[in-house]
Amino acid sequence: MRCGGFRVSYRSDERIFDTPVPIVALVLFLGALALVPRFATTYWLDVLNRIGIAVIGALGLNILVGFTGQISIGHAAFLAVGAYATAILEVNAGLPFYLAIPLAALLTAAFGLVFGIPSLRLRGLYLAIATLAAHFITTFGIIHWESMTKGVLGFMVPPATVFGLPLDSDARIFYLIFALTVPAVLVTKNLFRTKVGRAFIAIRDRDVAASVMGVSLYRYKLLAFVISSFYAGVAGGLMAHHSRILFPDAFTLLVAIDYLAMIIIGGMGSILGSIFGAVFMTLLPEVLKLTATSLTGVYPQAFGLIASARDIVFGLAVIFFLTYEPQGLARIWVRMRSYWTLWPYSY
Amino acid sequence: MTEQLVFMLQLVISGIAVGGVYSLMALGFVLIYKASSVVNFGPGELVLFGAYVAWATILQMRLPLVLALPLTLGVAILLGLVIERGVLRPLIGEPLISVIMVTFGFASVIRGFLNMTWGSDTRPFPVLFSQEPFRVGPVPVSPVHLWSFVGVMLLLGAFSLFFRFSLTGMAMRATADNQQVAQSLGVSVKWIFALSWCIATCVSTLAGIILGSVRGGVDFSLAELGLKVFPVVILGGLDSVAGAIIGGVLIGVLENLSGGYLDPLLGGGVKEVAPFVVLVVILMLRPYGFFGKVEIVRV
Amino acid sequence: MSRVHRPLVGFVLFGLLVLGLGAAPADAQTAIKLGNLVDLTGPTSDQGKDIAQGRIDAVQYLNERGGINGRKIELVSVEYGFQPPRAVAAYKRFIEEDRVLLVLGYGTPDTEALRPFITKDKIPYLSGSYSGHLTDPRQTPYNFPGGIDYTSQIRIFLNYVRETWKDPSRKPRVAFIYADNAYGRAPIESGRKYAPEVGVDLVDEEVIPTVLTDATSQLLTMQKKDPDFAYINTNTQWVPVVLKDSYKLGLRTKYVVNNYGLDERTPKLAGDAAEGVIGIQDVAYWGDNVPGMKILMEFHAKHHGGDVHASPYMRGWLWVIVAAEAIKRAGPNPTGETIKNALETLKEFDTWGLTPPFTYTSEDHRPTNRARLVQIKGGKVVPMHEVTVARDMKWIGK
Repeated sequence: MRCGGFRVSYRSDERIFDTPVPIVALVLFLGALALVPRFATTYWLDVLNRIGIAVIGALGLNILVGFTGQISIGHAAFLAVGAYATAILEVNAGLPFYLAIPLAALLTAAFGLVFGIPSLRLRGLYLAIATLAAHFITTFGIIHWESMTKGVLGFMVPPATVFGLPLDSDARIFYLIFALTVPAVLVTKNLFRTKVGRAFIAIRDRDVAASVMGVSLYRYKLLAFVISSFYAGVAGGLMAHHSRILFPDAFTLLVAIDYLAMIIIGGMGSILGSIFGAVFMTLLPEVLKLTATSLTGVYPQAFGLIASARDIVFGLAVIFFLTYEPQGLARIWVRMRSYWTLWPYSY
Repeated sequence: MTEQLVFMLQLVISGIAVGGVYSLMALGFVLIYKASSVVNFGPGELVLFGAYVAWATILQMRLPLVLALPLTLGVAILLGLVIERGVLRPLIGEPLISVIMVTFGFASVIRGFLNMTWGSDTRPFPVLFSQEPFRVGPVPVSPVHLWSFVGVMLLLGAFSLFFRFSLTGMAMRATADNQQVAQSLGVSVKWIFALSWCIATCVSTLAGIILGSVRGGVDFSLAELGLKVFPVVILGGLDSVAGAIIGGVLIGVLENLSGGYLDPLLGGGVKEVAPFVVLVVILMLRPYGFFGKVEIVRV
Repeated sequence: MSRVHRPLVGFVLFGLLVLGLGAAPADAQTAIKLGNLVDLTGPTSDQGKDIAQGRIDAVQYLNERGGINGRKIELVSVEYGFQPPRAVAAYKRFIEEDRVLLVLGYGTPDTEALRPFITKDKIPYLSGSYSGHLTDPRQTPYNFPGGIDYTSQIRIFLNYVRETWKDPSRKPRVAFIYADNAYGRAPIESGRKYAPEVGVDLVDEEVIPTVLTDATSQLLTMQKKDPDFAYINTNTQWVPVVLKDSYKLGLRTKYVVNNYGLDERTPKLAGDAAEGVIGIQDVAYWGDNVPGMKILMEFHAKHHGGDVHASPYMRGWLWVIVAAEAIKRAGPNPTGETIKNALETLKEFDTWGLTPPFTYTSEDHRPTNRARLVQIKGGKVVPMHEVTVARDMKWIGK
């Protein structure tokens, strides 16, 4: 049992894992993950795929909101740009997915740059409202630029092909999604060991003081938007390949709110929190659906009631977490872990 | 008058009429912000709540108007208290993002609750105003819009006086400015918060009644209108009552003009997005809105 | 445990309980499972609520009488808020987990989105969407619209205009007013092509948002072109807004509304503005004098007499009746494919009088080409006369 930390150099301080045990556990976990598609049903694979996509999106949003403190309600717009850009590049320009997705993500990042410009002048609430407006403007553009996006009629996306094998089932696309999710988590973790990451955190905590200290607000705020939208672009591209048909309806304001709920419930400014939040918010409607279906079997007339339960449960979950555990599931996890490792002492 | 001019006038006047309703909704938002610096991201749901309760008392329970109206307002007050006590009180001092999300949260709860209790069909709204339009020049205006405009102006007058001259009003402004100082001077901050939420819910309820009458029915789409509040309050200033009125009317006119002139060019939908474009432009030029107060940030 | 941990543990236990419930199979082996998609919280929830209730009631009614070929029917119901991504996820679940034999679909965007999937999986899809894009078996062999398709309806409108137009000096002018989504747009392209064929001038098109609050600017723009008639293709919730705004502006345009836009509730919602407005009726209204109505009304009174229902409720029953008949005809071990073939054997099938008889063939998935024109007079929906539109193969799949 470890007691306390014992670091003797800056290098060791920056290490992600102190001992080999977490690394082994992580490798085993990833191995188990790779075996999942052989045993799970399409339904659960679909859920896991959506979780994977949500993790990437949540990480992106957390970088912007949780780590840099820039409130953005426009995340759904970024996802939309990433998704449609990927689809258009593949269908109209004939690019294969391994070029289309990164290119689309870069496009989304450029879009994020434009989005981010208001953040240089606006703070807090006004920034939030500006991102809200930007969301509507983007959605309008997507719906009405029909020659490119096919608007409300839906844009069909052909499956990605790897060496001629089409990734057209949840089991196959699982590998693609998690091949991107795992590195995304690692990259984010490393981001916050670098100068850039520290600058972000400084801006969140006290931006005026940070700029006095020499952190260029101009540069790093925009960078935060750019990086965050890159993640969203990747997530959007994966969404395009997972659902295979894109509708503007898939990117409503509620999606942006769902992502915000993910990082708040999961834990703002925490990578583990993004993962927890993504899992929680994706599973919540599924659990409710299961309840509804099993109850409907017994009380068919109750179906209507359960449908509205989703809104209520979502709202209550958000309120509950914000009131009792503002730092989210990540904090609860840390507490449970330390309870376990430090028992019988409490700290 | 030339046909073009008549067309434009029609758009402008009906824009003013619709704008009156926006002002009413924005008023609810501004009141909360003015007194407690809380941003309500669910104004639509409050309006929806008011509309449904009004419908329930008038049509479902069949109470006469004289009883129904105070009952509706009473329920609105209750909601205001519940929100303030249960939801916002624990979040005093928490960062802005938490407060914003919490308002989304209870908006969701209200929506789910309404769906569960009254279902989601469109309920025909009781006819409280006559249907016959009367004319302002060449333009027909429905009486509902006129009443809402009149109502909004009355409320503007009432609230301006309230905030300026009454003790409670001044206490509210003091609380919004600096809670600790206000408290040290004897203002009961808790009571001020509760009061501001109750007033806001009542105003939202009135907005809901007006909207229900305009549309002829209550259903969940009323909540979507709520987001239009933001262009209005950015234009008018987050804490300015007069600004809410002016902003509402301007946005209503702007919407109609862009709808009338730009929709045929761009294929529809411009009407809904134009206020948000304006919002972004204003924020870039004047980050605190036209009438908002500038915040000074210290390290 | 800290005060935070207690509710959390409770929450987790509750979640496990729920999962346990969900996993318990209820009579799984012998039940016939049907997928059921509805919108109870989104922009068409006013229809969805009654449709869901109708479907649930019809299934319960049939089960009380022994089900189909001795097997009970089980509805796997998913509420999807009119959001296509949720419908796609629900469909995947229907196929993998529940192994449904048929899906009772709902909205146009999601039905059209799922076309390739259901064709690949060979699952018949009986939809609430009557889009013309679902009617061609060569393109969508497993899609079956549950009523007269929107393209036929817009043709009915244009035929009506042509027939009632008395002025020989010019052609009648029409406009289309439609919602900005796949449902609203479904018949418009065909409408544009058909209008000149019957000698009608399409002078204006107005797009209205899915959620409509004010149609003034669109109507003022339309007024400039002065159409004699206008066709409204949106949902019952939004049609009154158009009607009321038009009334307020004093427009002389006469309106015809599609089957999902006008029903028993419209006169109450639109008031005086609804007078004279014409609608296309596809299914019986509540209380209409048709053989099946008695059964519905008795069932309704027995189980939830306090509610009020409108035509979507009848549609819910209708589709279950059609599906059940096909499943019955498919024999003791129905599969998706045999049910589809069985659907195509339905010829002049009597739907308890709720609609004109249904005929699906292997070349034509349009169930009927007959409808009734109704008009709002004196605050009530009054039948006018029945109309037929030619089963022209030129318009199939469009």
